[in-house]
Amino acid sequence: MTVYAGPVQDLIDELGRLPGVGPKSAQRIAFHLLKLPKDDALRLANAIAVVKDRVTFCHTCFNISEGERCGICGDPRRDTHVVCVVEEPRDIVAVEKTGEFKGRYHVLQGAISPIEGIGPDQLRVKELLARLEPEGIDEVILCTNPNIEGEATAMYLGRLLKPLGLKVTRIASGLPVGGDLEYADELTLGRALEGRRELD
Amino acid sequence: MQLQRLWLRDFRSYASAELTFAPGLTALLGANGEGKTNVMEAIGYLATLSSFRGVPNEALVRRGCATAVVRAEGERDGRQLLIEAEITTSGRGRVQVNKQRLARARDLLGALRVSVFSPDDLELVKGGPAERRRYLDDTLVSRQPKLDAVRSDLDRVLRQRNALLRQAGGRVTAEIDATLAVWDAKLVEAGEALGDARAALVDDLAPVLSAAYDQVAGRAAHVRLGYLAPWREAGLARALEDVRADELRRGISLVGPHRDELVVTLDDMPARTHASQGEQRSVALALRLAAHRVVTEATGSPPILLLDDVFSELDPDRSAALLAHLPPSQTVLSSAAGLPQGAEPELVLRVAGGTVAAADPGLS
Ligand SMILES: [Zn+2]
Repeated sequence: MTVYAGPVQDLIDELGRLPGVGPKSAQRIAFHLLKLPKDDALRLANAIAVVKDRVTFCHTCFNISEGERCGICGDPRRDTHVVCVVEEPRDIVAVEKTGEFKGRYHVLQGAISPIEGIGPDQLRVKELLARLEPEGIDEVILCTNPNIEGEATAMYLGRLLKPLGLKVTRIASGLPVGGDLEYADELTLGRALEGRRELD
Repeated sequence: MQLQRLWLRDFRSYASAELTFAPGLTALLGANGEGKTNVMEAIGYLATLSSFRGVPNEALVRRGCATAVVRAEGERDGRQLLIEAEITTSGRGRVQVNKQRLARARDLLGALRVSVFSPDDLELVKGGPAERRRYLDDTLVSRQPKLDAVRSDLDRVLRQRNALLRQAGGRVTAEIDATLAVWDAKLVEAGEALGDARAALVDDLAPVLSAAYDQVAGRAAHVRLGYLAPWREAGLARALEDVRADELRRGISLVGPHRDELVVTLDDMPARTHASQGEQRSVALALRLAAHRVVTEATGSPPILLLDDVFSELDPDRSAALLAHLPPSQTVLSSAAGLPQGAEPELVLRVAGGTVAAADPGLS
């Protein structure tokens, strides 16, 4: 729906592309920004510019990072033999909070979801495969979300990785089904990690 | 749960309303279009987190408002329960029980159960197979709330799998093949679970159904149920292999619980095509009554009976028969034409112009 003059409509269109923002919300946010003092609005614009400038994705694990290598990949105390596969960088935060995991991560940047046009090729799957040998990885923990897409992704990866002779485990059920990792409390997620089971 | 009080805010036609319910029969009286069904729908929402009229939740929010609230107070197993459900036009609704927010709204299922009878029930018999699948699945979830997860998993898997089949456009690359295998496995998992549960439910409904029909129609007849799920013989995995080529060509999932049929026969003839309208009404009532009894039996306590304007469509004999054979439990009935013969409510509520007022039960 194009109703407003050029720049305003551009802003509404851009906001509408953000996840979870529908056309109505986009319009509301746009008008909020229009009413804002210029300094406040520019602070937001600047924060976006700085983050895009300085923060990128780790070239190894695709966690957010200020350099080519994120803090976790660069930490010599982390166990290089175990990698925990998650959907998004925010899931790393959730797992780190449990204090149960000392290995490294791999961020898929999503989950298999044909509805959204996401298949294995749109995820960082090839990059995961490329890490296995050079890093001497012998266990992969599949820590995707306990919902349909996360389970499907775990199953896909399990079928791909098992034949390579690795230990492939899935975090235990007991997490709230249908939810996201980030909503699970530390204790529950910690227990799910500890109780992970080898895929058959 | 025994419902004692209900508050509505910006729900459908109600800006705000407060209602009290009797432990036995409460009658909601008022002209059509005054909001009787909305009250029923609000109670039903707390049971299923959806509308029994089959509309999306946004439709429950009063026009021009962003949020509706349904609040109910009642007693369950000797404990007072306060349920508060927020319905929003955008995003997920929130649910609180005794002021504690539930992690997932779905955890509410089972706290309050309802059995809804409405004039649309005729579609159970006359309508397409989707109506009867919904009847089975609603009954399953009412009996065993856990199954709601299986049901919604299956919906989600089918949407994903159909999207993938469409994208494949008949061409199977290695990637499509590997991904489809995963969705097949997920479909088998959820599909077998739902198929088994439905078949078990049909077995439980069957013996109750004929008796319920006899009571409603006032004559003995054989009402039989058959759950048609041809894939259950060899298993869903095998059935999927058999239709693989067809599915890829048509870009849609062709086998599983979403294509099954519940066949209802009256004296060995399909009720959908061979019964009179009157008989079909009796069969529909019997289906609802049987479900109510099966759920009561399994859970140990009867769901709240919501009789939404059912008597307007029934002849006096069927009305009287239904009232006589309803199990004694909390019941809310609505009527635009006064009280049906034989109904003796403990409480009468008059509904008009978006407000509800208690009336003397002696006057109707
Ligand atoms: Zn990294």
